[in-house]
Amino acid sequence: MEIKLKCSCGQQNCPEWAIIELQGVVEVQPAFQDRLQNLQIGLLCRPSSQESYTFTVGYHELSGSKIPLKKPLLVLKKIMKSDMEIDQNDDDDDLNSSSRVDLEVIGIIRQRILFKTRPKALISKPQPTVKEKVSAPRSIVEKLT
Amino acid sequence: MADFLKGSLSHHSAFIYAFGLLMPLLKYYFTVTPVSENTPFLILADFIQIRLQILSQVLKIEAKPNKPKMGKTESGCTKGAEAVLGVLPNSSIPIAYHPLFGPHSDLLLLELDEKLLPDVINQRISLRGQPEEDAVLCTQSKTYAIKFVGTSNSVFLVPPSDQFAVDENQQDCNEKGSDSNAPHASVLKVAPGTMELVEVAPRIDKLKMLLSENPYKFDEDSEMYDTGLYRWDDLIDRVQASDEEMRSALRVLSAVEINGYWRIVDEKYMDGILNMLLNNTLLNDWSLNALDEDEVVGSLVKDGYSNAIAHHCLDVYGSKTNGSEEGGKSFWELDKRRVCVHFARRILACGKMKIENFMEEWTRKVPGGMVVSFDMLEGEVLVEKLGIQSFVYAFSVSSLPSDPANRFSRLFQERSKWDWKDLQPYIRDLSVPGLTSDGLLLKYTRRTQPTADSEPVFTAR
Repeated sequence: MEIKLKCSCGQQNCPEWAIIELQGVVEVQPAFQDRLQNLQIGLLCRPSSQESYTFTVGYHELSGSKIPLKKPLLVLKKIMKSDMEIDQNDDDDDLNSSSRVDLEVIGIIRQRILFKTRPKALISKPQPTVKEKVSAPRSIVEKLT
Repeated sequence: MADFLKGSLSHHSAFIYAFGLLMPLLKYYFTVTPVSENTPFLILADFIQIRLQILSQVLKIEAKPNKPKMGKTESGCTKGAEAVLGVLPNSSIPIAYHPLFGPHSDLLLLELDEKLLPDVINQRISLRGQPEEDAVLCTQSKTYAIKFVGTSNSVFLVPPSDQFAVDENQQDCNEKGSDSNAPHASVLKVAPGTMELVEVAPRIDKLKMLLSENPYKFDEDSEMYDTGLYRWDDLIDRVQASDEEMRSALRVLSAVEINGYWRIVDEKYMDGILNMLLNNTLLNDWSLNALDEDEVVGSLVKDGYSNAIAHHCLDVYGSKTNGSEEGGKSFWELDKRRVCVHFARRILACGKMKIENFMEEWTRKVPGGMVVSFDMLEGEVLVEKLGIQSFVYAFSVSSLPSDPANRFSRLFQERSKWDWKDLQPYIRDLSVPGLTSDGLLLKYTRRTQPTADSEPVFTAR
């Protein structure tokens, strides 16, 4: 069978998705397992004008950087054809009856923010570390406005 | 508590015990801090399991830097992938699970070379294969195997704000002064891995097999077969090759489209029509180098061959001559090699022959004006020496498997030792992306050279 790769984004207009990648697994406590939606994972922070980032999850901080992918990644979505659609196509083209799936390109990924360090604990005094970083933009903005 | 630990550590327990030193640390985290509503996360990083607590201070701070509006979107706030990729220096954005977070197994990641992107945009790419086969991806001209590459990292996928949008969120975003007016991003899915492409040779053997099921024969019209017939679309459906590769394979197999079905024509039938064509040429005193297409096809049709087959015959044994269009007429020249090879094959169809007898018969069979030479039979016949006698027998490269492993195993089954001169015609058509012919030889054969200036001999590995 043949599955067509469909793309409706036109010239160079594919919506760009992002990847945040970290080593290991963020595991949710059983108490939260069934209500993940909207649950905050952490804070992504860019402490300077360089493409380096920190990701603070609870009182642990990961540091990493934004890396362009060597080859782009396409985000594909399987689209199941409804039975009705297949029946309609059946008359003129028996090929469609066998292929029930299309793949649609819904996005492209060109860069990821990769955290490959081991988490640094902010156990003793998490507050100042975090505050220092996040308070900086405020002062800049205040000066600007 | 103990049960919970067992559950989440089961995969990692081997590591943890191996690094026994870490145990006190883990113990500390798991026993001292109680599980409660505001401690939702654990990170399993490598072999260390650490509890992460979302502290109230952190939450408070998260809300603070949200005042600057960095958004370029219409609603005035940056969300989703745009926010992640466009974090301004000295600022931060919260990352949360998407309202629609889930396994989303219908979303796949495909790694693709930049140069294939135009093909994607113009929708010239498809995946081909039967359910029991490994799928391949085909562009117009190439075939790629698809490999799934898993990762143990957590790959958080963040869609742009206008995809997988939830209405409720949109409203929040527009409410001025609300905290959710700030840039933020949501993770829709944790991707278990990506699909990667590796260029491969098309799976042409299957095409050969399909077309051999029901070759076009003499008695075609009297007995209606409707099994083993394939249209172009049926072939695309079944054979893992790109359109261009398929077309060139059909050409190599001398297949022809008859009444919408792609067929190979039975060799005896081809023999019949070629002989008829040569007879007509003699009768009408036509030149073998300038056959008028209309006349030739007309005469063959009169003899009971179909128009399509008559054209196919010219196509297989001849080629259009340059500048052949004169007053709407097309001229064809018969290809000496192809005609001679045809007759050699017919002669050897009965079996092994002494080389002298073969050459004599071959010379007699070919049409006048054509001179045979043994070189024409490269890749078609093998010569076997038995005592002082040399025998020749048919061994056609076109009857051999087209994937290298099977090709070499068939070759070494035929002969345990090959001279380069003999071997070369049987492997020159093999093409494996990323492997040169020297690479192929290195992989599948053992090369021996008794003395420095003697010919190398190839044996099975």
